[in-house]
Parts: sequence; structure tokens; C-alpha cells
Amino acid sequence: MYRHEGEDVFVIDSHVHFWDASEENITHDGGEQFIQCFYDYHTGFTPEDRQWTLEEYRKYSPERMVRDVFGKGYVDMAIFQPTYLSDFYADGFNTVERNAELAEEYPERFVLNGRFDPRDGEAGLRELERQKEEYDIDGVKLYTAEWNGDSKGWRLDSEECFEYLEKCRELGITNIHPHKGPTIRPLNRDAFDVSDVDDAATSFPELNFVVEHVGLPRLDDFCWIAAQEPNVYGGLAVAAPFAAVRPRKFGEILGELLFWLGEDRILFGSDYAIWEPEWLIEAVMEFELAPDQRDEYGVEFDLDAKRKIMGENAADLYDIDLDEKKQELRDDSVSAEFGLGDGEAAAD
Amino acid sequence: MAGSNPADAGGDATPADADETATPADAAPPTREAVLGRLDRVTDPELDRSLVELGYVDEIEIDPPRVSVAFRLPTAWCSPAFAWMMATDAREEIEALDGVASATVELRDHVHETEINDGVNRGLPFEEVFPDADGGVEAVRRELDEKARLARQYRAVSTLLEAGLSPEQIVRLAPADVEFDGAPDSPPPITGDEAGVGRDDGASTERDGETEAGRDDGTTDDRDGGTATVYVRGGTVGVAFSASSIREYLEKAEALGLVSGADDDRPLFRTPDGNPIPADEFDMVRRRARLAHVNMDGQGGVCAYLHEARYGDRGVDASNAPESA
Repeated sequence: MYRHEGEDVFVIDSHVHFWDASEENITHDGGEQFIQCFYDYHTGFTPEDRQWTLEEYRKYSPERMVRDVFGKGYVDMAIFQPTYLSDFYADGFNTVERNAELAEEYPERFVLNGRFDPRDGEAGLRELERQKEEYDIDGVKLYTAEWNGDSKGWRLDSEECFEYLEKCRELGITNIHPHKGPTIRPLNRDAFDVSDVDDAATSFPELNFVVEHVGLPRLDDFCWIAAQEPNVYGGLAVAAPFAAVRPRKFGEILGELLFWLGEDRILFGSDYAIWEPEWLIEAVMEFELAPDQRDEYGVEFDLDAKRKIMGENAADLYDIDLDEKKQELRDDSVSAEFGLGDGEAAAD
Repeated sequence: MAGSNPADAGGDATPADADETATPADAAPPTREAVLGRLDRVTDPELDRSLVELGYVDEIEIDPPRVSVAFRLPTAWCSPAFAWMMATDAREEIEALDGVASATVELRDHVHETEINDGVNRGLPFEEVFPDADGGVEAVRRELDEKARLARQYRAVSTLLEAGLSPEQIVRLAPADVEFDGAPDSPPPITGDEAGVGRDDGASTERDGETEAGRDDGTTDDRDGGTATVYVRGGTVGVAFSASSIREYLEKAEALGLVSGADDDRPLFRTPDGNPIPADEFDMVRRRARLAHVNMDGQGGVCAYLHEARYGDRGVDASNAPESA
């Protein structure tokens, strides 16, 4: 819970990872390049006194994650977004199974998402059914630039993918989170083109497409598509650090998002462990649009908008009753361990 | 530069091309400033900002009549297509200088540096060097040029709105209506009030530019743009403004073939699809142009921080540059 102007703001971090990039797990140069690239994003934006060492960053403990995210990070609930990269990592980088270790220990705190890769054919469809059955997932994270054998990526609007989206609809997996963001070495940037979201969103109006990283560096293409597709949302991971390091720029990006999508279709995400939620949430919650930006865009980033972006929008997508949830979390093990019980969040 | 005259891009600049002007060996060797001046015309196509401004240029070596240039990008995994465009553009720009017979570019610290350096310096097509890439480099270049044009349109139209032109006047404006008051490489004349319209705030940007006006020997720096005037109300009222944002816009619009030459009487500003702007769509087109501008600027921020993480400095941070008018 983040305490803002005397009021509690319920925070759902819609984008977290529990990864393993230890040297023992890396089987391909791509795996080392990938974690090094993540680490550049980490050190590029994180305040110096909060930076991790590369060794810490490769693999962190469940205890550390719970402390960073819930203990001191203001987050009430977090959504796991898996990233497999099985061509690079022996046991995968950030798999459903690995995330489930934590999600099953703290079921009231974590939402566990699954994933699919349409290049996996019939076996992949069975695997998706298994994830639904075993973990009751409501969402999937999709990585269109993931390597798979000779293939360096796939498209959301392909026939194969439509078969999987049809399966999602059938199984009631309603939240589709494609990564459409900055290039991550060694993945091929062209596969992060956002244009394929358009056709998929039109063809599956019952599904919600949460475009992670708001399409950066294609914010323009993303906003234009989202303005026309009511079931397209924007995930703020990667845009959020600008609130801390370059507020003026953050105001422009946020102004565009509020203008084209509106405050009901933007979701906060930290991308933990790329960045820790504590300083990110402080920066976003304290952020105010400059007067000229409010005029230019004709939008407000007031407490109501902040509540929506920080938690209410994700709660709607994942069918979370916030009043019930607040009661439930008040005396769970995490609240007991970190003294969060009475709503006086770590903000004090 | 990215998206410069397609005719230039088509003919791979070989030493023989220089014969029409001067025999390279006879001409005076180029200065470091002249080389920098040419490199300043090469943009990072994703950010639409100059390589020099972005701090990418690492080393320049002049060994008459040969010049070699080394550059580094913010990350080792920057798109090979973008790196390729910058390398080919840099080579072509330098080879266009008098006194240069051949230029060699060296991209450093990039995962594909070997392929890119070898391919570009041998004049090979991108598709031959990267057969796995989706689509050709020219299609990517065109798409980014269109975005850059739209972002530049946002800044140019901002200048005109601040100078007092109405949306109706702006959508009707043609290149033939714009009169440039000074050569682009000469300091801006002290004019601007004859039409009774005050100079916009952007003029201060130009004054900053003035201090650098003499830094290169004869190469054009489009940012030192002088002033321009348009005549409205049947040619009876002249409105003056600083010309740099219009010049930058024109350059990109011409490269894309939307307008050609100063006498063109087709509309200067266009929709994202390149069509004339109906007056009632002015606001929507303007919002989309703003979005293109914010996107390019935002990505510049990401690149600047990655550059810092990698090299310990932020190069030229996009937003330290003059805010657009």
C-alpha cells in the first residue's frame, strides 16, 4: 500500500519476474548477452545507491524478492510474466514452474501467468491446457522475438497464433501480454514491431491485449492502434523509470498515453528485478504533469488516475475485488513479517 | 544522410564520382571540421538526430586523400539495419567532400561490426550481408523517414502557430510561399519585425546556434537557419519567424518526394499518409505529429541512458538540446 496525501493506494505491480540467469543455467551465448543487456537497463536507470551487482542480479532468492516487492516496495500484489528463452537457458530464464514456487507459497499476493509459443504446434496447445488446469492462469505473457530453433520470431496475427488465441478464449485466459518494447540483445528487433497487435485485437474482442512497454520505441504506432482498439492496454514497464530520471519526458509519454488510451487502460509495472518497485513507485506517485503539459494534452494525472494505473485497472482485468483483498492481506504472512498490517504502509 | 536525395543513395559514391568537381589528389585535404560537418548531416534514423550531436563519433583519421571514421552506438545490439544506414550515410557524406578520394567507416563494439564494416566499405547491399533480415533496409529507412518527417512537421508547425499563422493558412502553405531571408550557413539577419509580428521564442535557439555558425568551413549546418517570411492575406502581410525548423522539415519532405524545390506550389504539410491536410483535420494531424515527435524523443532518452551505462557518459542527452518551439 502506498500512502499518498493521507490516503492508501492499493498497488498491483503488473510485471514481475523471478529469473535464473546463473552461469550454470546458461547454455548459449544469447543467454549471457540477454542478462548483460538487462543489467545495462538496470544500471542505466537505477539510482546509484540502489544498484545490484551483476552476481546478485543473475539469480536472487525468493526471500529477497518478497522483501523488495512487498516488504519495502509498497506493492500489495504482483503479476508474474514468464519469459522462457529455452534456447538460451537450460531450465528456462523465468518459467511458469519457477514462478509457481513463489506464487504457491504466497497465493494471496501473486497472480501467476502462463505463456505460449505458437511454433510449438499441437504440443504447445496441450501445454497451455496444462497451465490452465494446474495453475488456473488468467493471462499469458508472449515474447514474439523469442528464438526457437531456426526461427527468430513470430507474429501475433499469424494463423498459428490465432489458433492459440482461440484456445485462450476457450479456456478463459483473457489477458494477453505481448512484449513490445526495446530490443533485448540478441533478439531481433523487427519481431517487436507492434503492428501485429492490431489484427489480433480486432479478431479477438473478448481478449484484452496488454502491450508491455507501451511499444517503445514505437509509442506512436502503439497509441494509434490502441486509440482504435478498445481492448488494447498499455503496460508502463520501461516507461516508468523516466518518472525518476527525466520527469519532463515521462510527462510527454504519459500525456500521450492518457490522451490516446485514457486512464482506464494503463497499467503500472516495475519489471522487477530489472528495477525495484520502491523508487519507481515513489517516482510515479509523486509525479505531476507540468501545467503546460496538462494544457497541451488536456488530461489530468490526479489521485483518481494514479489509483487506476497503480492497481484498479489490473484488478479489473484479473477480477480482483480490492475491498476483499485489502481485508485478506491485512493479516497474511507477508504483512506479519514486514509489519504492514494496519495500512500504515512502508511509505512512512 | 538518412533519407537524403535518393539519387545520391542510389549511386554508390566511388572515387570516380568526384572527377566532375576536382581531382581529389589536387584538392586541398579536408579539415577535421569539414569531416565533422558532413557527419553532422548523418542521423540516427530512429532518433532523427545527428551522429555528432549524439556523441557517436569516436575517431576521425585524415590521410589524404583518404579519410577513416570510427563510431560507436549506445548498445552493442542496436539494430544492424540502423547501424548499416548510419555507416553507409557517413561514408557517402565524407566521400562527397573535395579532397577525399575514399572514406572508410569502422563501427566499433557492435555484435555485427565485422559484417557491417566489411559490407559497407565494399559497397555490398545490406540484403546480401544479412540474408535473414525481415525486409530490405530501404523499406525500414523509408518508414523511419516518414516518422521523422512527421516529427519535424510538428516542430515546424509549432513555429508557424507561434508566429501567428492560423491552421487554415498553415494547411494551404506551399514551399513557393516561403521566402528564406538568409543563406542557411550565414548568421541570421536581424530582422523579423517588419510584418509587425514579434519573433517567436524559438529565435533564442537560433542565437545559440549563431555561436557555432563559423565552426565548419563551408559545409551547411541546417540548424543555423536564419529567418524566413511567409506572405498571407493575398501577399499583403508578411510573417517572419526563425527558419531552422522549416528548413529541417523541408529537407525531409523533399527526401521523401512530397515537395521539390522552392517553387513548388503543392501543400508543404501533409497527413501521416502524405496527403494534403483538410482544414478540419488539422488538429488530428497535429496530434499524430506530436506523437511522432514524443516517440523519437522518448527513445532518445532510452538510448542516452544505455549509452551512459555502457560508456559512462550520456553523449548528448536528447532533452538537453533546445526544446522545440
